Amino acid sequence: MKQLTPLILTVSVPPHRHSGVTVRNRMFKLLLAMTPAAIMAVLFFGMPAARVMALSMATAVFTELICDKFMERDSDIHDLNAFVVGLSLAFLLPASAPWWLVVTGSAASIIVGKMMFGPLGGSPFCAPLVGWAICRISWPEFMDIDATMLSIDLSYPLARLQNFGLASVGNTDLFSLLLGKQLGGLGAVQILGVLLGGIYLVVRKHVHYLIPAGVILGVLLTSGLLCMVDPTNNASPLFHLLTGSTLFGAFFLATDMPSSPNREIPMLLFGLLAGVLIIIIRTYGIYPDGVPFAILLANLFTPIFDRIRPEPFGKR
Amino acid sequence: MNRLWKEFSKGLWKELPPFKLVLGLCPVLAVTNTANNGLGMGMAVIAVLTLSNFVVSLLRKLIPPKVRIACFIAISATLVVAVELLMQAFSYPLYQQLGIFVPLIVVNCIILGRSEAFAYKNPPLLAVADGLGMGIGFTLSLTFLGSLREVLGAGTLFGVAVMGDWFVPLKIMVQAPGAFICLGVLLALMTYAENVQRKRKGLAAVQGATHDCGSCGGCANVAKSQ
Repeated sequence: MKQLTPLILTVSVPPHRHSGVTVRNRMFKLLLAMTPAAIMAVLFFGMPAARVMALSMATAVFTELICDKFMERDSDIHDLNAFVVGLSLAFLLPASAPWWLVVTGSAASIIVGKMMFGPLGGSPFCAPLVGWAICRISWPEFMDIDATMLSIDLSYPLARLQNFGLASVGNTDLFSLLLGKQLGGLGAVQILGVLLGGIYLVVRKHVHYLIPAGVILGVLLTSGLLCMVDPTNNASPLFHLLTGSTLFGAFFLATDMPSSPNREIPMLLFGLLAGVLIIIIRTYGIYPDGVPFAILLANLFTPIFDRIRPEPFGKR
Repeated sequence: MNRLWKEFSKGLWKELPPFKLVLGLCPVLAVTNTANNGLGMGMAVIAVLTLSNFVVSLLRKLIPPKVRIACFIAISATLVVAVELLMQAFSYPLYQQLGIFVPLIVVNCIILGRSEAFAYKNPPLLAVADGLGMGIGFTLSLTFLGSLREVLGAGTLFGVAVMGDWFVPLKIMVQAPGAFICLGVLLALMTYAENVQRKRKGLAAVQGATHDCGSCGGCANVAKSQ
């Protein structure tokens, strides 16, 4: 009879298998996806854009280090999240933003948007949007993109639509919008770059496709409906999709993990809500580009959407 | 005298109404966009709080326990109407600034809270000391928060420019979101300061604002601390 070799069993605590996805990895892919838009921004706006992006990222990282020191925690700088927050905020700012605005906005994003709620994963809001909102409300004159960038021969289509009506943007070439020939947040309007990065993220499943799909669907449906009701005053759905930070918001901001739902139906509803709010704010609100406020509002609904979940098995 | 000082001084720091008890937040958030408004609101509250404590304490043997809340409200409403009319007569601009928040002092939970937790059970002199202390603490808190928001949000203090030309006002601070951010940061800093002190004494850290149980009427520990 053959001798049985004793089987060695190791007892260890779960998890036993790891998919290989780490926060650092995910954040690195996000940075990679933002690179095309960042390069396009530097090509279009030159050094001012590079200056805003570098300053914003550096401030974000230093602020997080100081917060970690103050909170007596081990620093999580190596997970690259501060870089992503800084770059996302810079993408929403005009290239002409003064240095103190960039520094305050970036520090506020990290402090109010992230560290106050506990570090990464605790915040109910998308961090860069908090900083953007504080800057937008505090210094409207410096965040007014048209007025601060008179030297560049481009215009801010959303502000024109708001101030001068549909006729002033009626003959805007959609293809030139796609190439980024418009003013707005310095990186967010590089539509082609943003689209490339966004598609990369979705195809490689770094973000779930339902949130961007929901936002885009919401924008198209709402603006299509408004356009059908009153075509003389409302811009076409494609115009809304290709101007301002709609696509940047859909692919990069709405998909921010802590502040968005994580099941399929809630994700779709969350995206739709954000998309509908974007058009409502743009059409009826006082802000030309409603994307950041729309996503902040949708973030608030995340806990409610998260209640839509399957019955646990065996529940009585 | 000692007891009198104890009741008076507890409102100044140990049970500071907005920051330690986190009570009366409606005016704290709404009217503190300038230091002046905060001070004016605080003055109105001092007057109403001291007088209502005094009257409630005088009538404490007469007020039947079952309808005491209604009686407290009736007393404070009478006083608030008096204060409101006086304000309209003698400082109309301030009255216009504060608007609806002057009549709302009636339902300010500090007024009701002090009547219920203190004045209803204590003699008039102590009740006046308590009301005065709490009122002054409330006024100082409101003025401090108002100054902070005014300096950051408008670059002025009591209407006088205090920041240099380089300063670009952080306008969000004088708007509604600024009130929440300011209050939250102040509460966090107070807890942080307390935790630094506790650490020095070798005690465990606390989370959130702390106060003695004596300041709320419904607590089981109230007999112990009084």
